Amino acid sequence: MFRPLRMKHVLIQVLTEDLPQVSLTLAELSVFSPDNRAAYIDQFPVIPGDHYRELYHQASSRLEKIRKHVGLGDNIDLSEDTVPSEAVLAETNAWLGEMWERCSSYEETFRKLSDEERMLDQLDQALDNFAELKIDLSLLHGDKHFLDIRVGIIPKQNASQLSEALNLAGYLMFNYMIHDENIHIIVLGLKGERENEITSVLDTAGFHTLPVPEELHAEPDKVRRELQEKRQTLIRQRDQENRNMTACADEIRKELERCRKILITAEPFVQIDASARSSGYLSIITGWIPARDIKNTEKVLQQTLKNPFSIDTRDPTAEERELVPSYMPKSRLMAPFATLIKQYGIPRYGEIDPTGIFALTFIAMLGMMFGDIGHGLIIILAAWLARKKLKSFTLFAVSTGISATIFGALYGSIFGYEEIMHALWIAPLSDPIYMLTVALGWGIGFLLLITLISINNRIMDNDLTRAVFDNNGIVSIVLYVSVLFGIYSFYNNGHFGIITAIISITALLTLLGYKLIETHAPPGERMLVAAIETLETLTGYISNTLSFLRVAAFSLNHAALAIAVFTLAEMMESTGHWITVICGNIFILVLEGAIVTIQALRLEYYEGFSRFFSGDGKEFKPLHLHLEKRV
Amino acid sequence: MSVQETHTYLKARTAVMADRLYSPQLFDDLLQLSLEEVCAQSNLSELLDTGADESKLNLAVERALINTLMHELSILMRPLVGPARDILVHWTRKYELYNLKALIRGKLLGLSYDELRGNLHELPALISLPHENLLRTENIAELLRQLEVGQYGDIAIQARKVYEDKNEPFSLDATIDQRYYAGLLKRARLIPAEDRAPLMQLIGAVIDQQNLLWLLRYRFNYELSPSETYYLLLPFGHHLQRENLVALVNLNNTQQVMESLPESMLADLGQLLSHMDIEKTLEAMTAQQAQKSLKYSTSAITRSLAYLILREMDLGRLFAIIQGKVLNLDVALIREAAGLDSLQTETAHV
Repeated sequence: MFRPLRMKHVLIQVLTEDLPQVSLTLAELSVFSPDNRAAYIDQFPVIPGDHYRELYHQASSRLEKIRKHVGLGDNIDLSEDTVPSEAVLAETNAWLGEMWERCSSYEETFRKLSDEERMLDQLDQALDNFAELKIDLSLLHGDKHFLDIRVGIIPKQNASQLSEALNLAGYLMFNYMIHDENIHIIVLGLKGERENEITSVLDTAGFHTLPVPEELHAEPDKVRRELQEKRQTLIRQRDQENRNMTACADEIRKELERCRKILITAEPFVQIDASARSSGYLSIITGWIPARDIKNTEKVLQQTLKNPFSIDTRDPTAEERELVPSYMPKSRLMAPFATLIKQYGIPRYGEIDPTGIFALTFIAMLGMMFGDIGHGLIIILAAWLARKKLKSFTLFAVSTGISATIFGALYGSIFGYEEIMHALWIAPLSDPIYMLTVALGWGIGFLLLITLISINNRIMDNDLTRAVFDNNGIVSIVLYVSVLFGIYSFYNNGHFGIITAIISITALLTLLGYKLIETHAPPGERMLVAAIETLETLTGYISNTLSFLRVAAFSLNHAALAIAVFTLAEMMESTGHWITVICGNIFILVLEGAIVTIQALRLEYYEGFSRFFSGDGKEFKPLHLHLEKRV
Repeated sequence: MSVQETHTYLKARTAVMADRLYSPQLFDDLLQLSLEEVCAQSNLSELLDTGADESKLNLAVERALINTLMHELSILMRPLVGPARDILVHWTRKYELYNLKALIRGKLLGLSYDELRGNLHELPALISLPHENLLRTENIAELLRQLEVGQYGDIAIQARKVYEDKNEPFSLDATIDQRYYAGLLKRARLIPAEDRAPLMQLIGAVIDQQNLLWLLRYRFNYELSPSETYYLLLPFGHHLQRENLVALVNLNNTQQVMESLPESMLADLGQLLSHMDIEKTLEAMTAQQAQKSLKYSTSAITRSLAYLILREMDLGRLFAIIQGKVLNLDVALIREAAGLDSLQTETAHV
């Protein structure tokens, strides 16, 4: 359960023509993680499929863009498919290019329609404004002998700069309205050689001409009607374009689904990238496969390849360890815990898999802090009802609910009522000191377990020096246990104990000596750093142990909050009483539930993970077929 | 961190980081070293080991130097929130705007995915555009449609209008540059009052440099009209205010412009006619202002920005030296290309 899945390095030798089929088979098996190192570059200098990759990426990008407009079915049947040849891929890419051009033209049309609608809105606003002006708008129309007049809109932020620029050319600019992010302006100047210059300045400033109707003053209703008609025309155009788009989607959907299949089967060959190398007719693929899957992989390759091949496997070398991917659990129960572990980091290959320990200790701590049968059952029910949204986290929530229910039975608490059933173990508030002692014991056990795992990981890393002397090494654990024993002895007998003191001091001095050797700095700084780090190791263990008191503190807090709710409820009439009890329980469930989850995670991440795994490993992500819906 | 703690931290940080700035002597020493030694001193030896050709090596060095700058930026940004953080983030957006211009120009020229990709800087997600999606667009209209919905949407919308009306890369570039510096000013105005004055002084120096170069380029190289040139400038510089710019854009040649500069700029620039000399002198003037800000400013955010400006200049010079060494150029030529002569001047003035 805690041992990481063993990995084997594989070298598959095949004929170059079989390379695409090998990649497809490996992707179907979903057990192969490519190794892109250039280990065999001299014998196999060529990375095959450069052009194929480029075609694939372009085609894939086109398909994804088209899929934003054309919905495709969820079911993809690949049973009969083989890897497409480069010619087929090129043909697919070209067809997708044509289809994207069609879709892109619709996008551009919709954008232009939106622009026109925005302009109509602006014009609508401008007409309201003009209608109230006491000026003859006919003056703004037609070609004038002496005046160059323009009416339009510009982005608000360009107004002041544009006004000054126009002044330089002898023009005037009047702002008469601000609407949204635009400002409505009238530009006025003498006709002549500067008209082109002004057009250029206005273009640079993002000026849009507003076509103010001549008849606005004479026949305002007619103008309104025309504006409304234009708006209706735009709506009709949009509807028509939508219908055209739907017809286009229906027309190309079947072929598009065929293209999707082609791209799905082409993808593994693209993804193997530099892990495949060739030299003439012979090619190799290198990567990592879980040891348990080697035989089956060989068997399936024999069934699918028409030409001979060879597969060589070996264990990872010590130097390769940091390159070997770590397999993270995929089971439904463990997946959510693995996700939370990944938030911290991926364990290095060879390190103990923390998922099981994390799952057990997290669920136990959360239950201990939040023990209540009623609350636990509500969590289970809520998780089940929200299972579609929670997805893989449903089992996570259900397990925390079960844990809260079990601890609720041990504490004898149902929605905070402690008199309904007898506690199977203890009601937290009946003996707080006992609860704190249990939490302390739990913390000591947790830290000892974590330190032992850390020592194991160092040994697996062939780093014996750190396994013995580093923080969380054998010397540290000796120091921790001896100090704990000394404190226990002092508490019970009034003295620390000579042997215990000697062991503690020896361990402390050993740690100090190691730190002095390990620190690279001038003598004074080295002494200071080593002394502080040694002291920090000791205080770290003590403070981390005390940190677990919160497990008991929150169980007490849970009961105390329930008492506070009941005290408030007692002050109410019957309806108010039950409303207070229900609201109080919701408050406890939501607020305390969230706090307790964060506290349990904090204990796992900070007191646990930071001690035993570095989080800089590589996750095992096998080559696989992307059959899920992407858009 | 409280505001006071943040300021103290940043001042201490920039003081420590200021030691990383290169002295003229250090640049002189680098000039005398071999390519391998320069790379070793600049922690870039790994790039030489890859055996890449000249252009790939130059690109890799440029990327590594930008990464260095981005890493230092992230250190300075760490304690900052609100407008102070925004101003540093916006300052670095210039690199993404280089990418944006490269993308637009590339699409206009019909460059392939690989040709375009090789010209893009890799930047932190905070300021980066979705390069992969943009590279996969098939024409300029699609590119602009995608840009309009992202964090550079306002620039893209303006760029589309300019592209549709004028259809020339120069106007697009000019608009993008102007929007960028206008954004820098807008953010500087949101900074709390105690930091604003020193910060505006520093940003004003940067804008003076841009304004004068743009003015000369737009008026006399691209022959734009005074009004259009003025529209593309930013009338909020340190020395070059609105009235100065209005007067300058109406002049008819470089000599007249240089002779009509305000008193505070006349001594350094009045006699210059070559645009390259003017550019170098302006850069030296910006560097002087940045050095003063870094040493004496009471504002921590101003010191941070000053450090980034100086560091960017240093890394640019280092890049020029490495490029020169890669191409086996003469030391004197590398010295000129890296602008090391003006570096002597700017240091002497502070």
